[in-house]
Amino acid sequence: MRFLRAAGRELLGLFVSDWVQSGVIVVILAGGWLAVSRVGAPALVLLVLLLAAQLVWFALAEGRRSARRSPRQFPG
Amino acid sequence: MGQQLFIFGAAFLGSAVEATEALTIVLAVGLTRGWREPLLGALLAIVLLGLLVLVFGQLIVTTIPEWALKLLVGTLLLLFGLRWLHKAVLRSAGVVAMHDEVRAFQDTVNQLGETVTRRDWVGFILALKGVFLEGLEVVFIVIAVGGPGHAWTAAITGGLTAAAVVAAAGLAVRKPLARVPENTLKYAVGILLTSLGTFWAAEGMGGSWPGDFLSIFALAGIFVVASRLAVTLIRRPAFA
Repeated sequence: MRFLRAAGRELLGLFVSDWVQSGVIVVILAGGWLAVSRVGAPALVLLVLLLAAQLVWFALAEGRRSARRSPRQFPG
Repeated sequence: MGQQLFIFGAAFLGSAVEATEALTIVLAVGLTRGWREPLLGALLAIVLLGLLVLVFGQLIVTTIPEWALKLLVGTLLLLFGLRWLHKAVLRSAGVVAMHDEVRAFQDTVNQLGETVTRRDWVGFILALKGVFLEGLEVVFIVIAVGGPGHAWTAAITGGLTAAAVVAAAGLAVRKPLARVPENTLKYAVGILLTSLGTFWAAEGMGGSWPGDFLSIFALAGIFVVASRLAVTLIRRPAFA
């Protein structure tokens, strides 16, 4: 049973480490789907830029949290 | 041909990373408790993982319409790839400690030292669990990169080659593969899978990319720039 629970956790953990970030990615994709069906190919550019932007945003947020927790460990 | 190579590369690199982690566990168990049980455990895990690829791979490809498969797998691949990329960015920026196979190996050895009085099946279960859980990521990568592009041969060959190469290296050195640049590999795989996921998700939405499969390289370029930008911004002195 413990093995199955660990496998289940591992499976979920493959896709989700931060629920908020995963939620944002899904919302971007849903918005992208809507936009692609209406605007076509140009919407793909916006979709890619939003995905790249969220990567930068969430990495910076995590970096800030980490810097507040232990400023001396932080490089720079 | 380019698509097949890209898929082989993604499956190979992703599987190599996970195989290295699985090997660390098997080595730690084998070197401290003997080889028979951990090797049997690892073998059983590989058979189970192979069955998962066959059953789910076949089921997914034959029952789900192509557009839905691309959208579903693309979304999952994107979530999976961005998770690796996010971690790789944080590691490159020094926010999260680099993954250390030697330390992982020592942790497992210490854990075994505490349970050394137990029966031998502990080694079997530990190897089975370690290889199976690490292998789940390999199964996902192989199914996800091989399914929507109908490139099963390239994906499975990539996964198997990676497992064989890592196993051979482990057999040769009998030590954790500390020299494998695992964090760099995870960075590269994160970029490859995120690009592939974006490409397929958008195709599933009905979008068509200029230059077809070649646009994946442009996507990879965009995600490289974004991730390097994040690393640079986090490393700025003013940031801390």
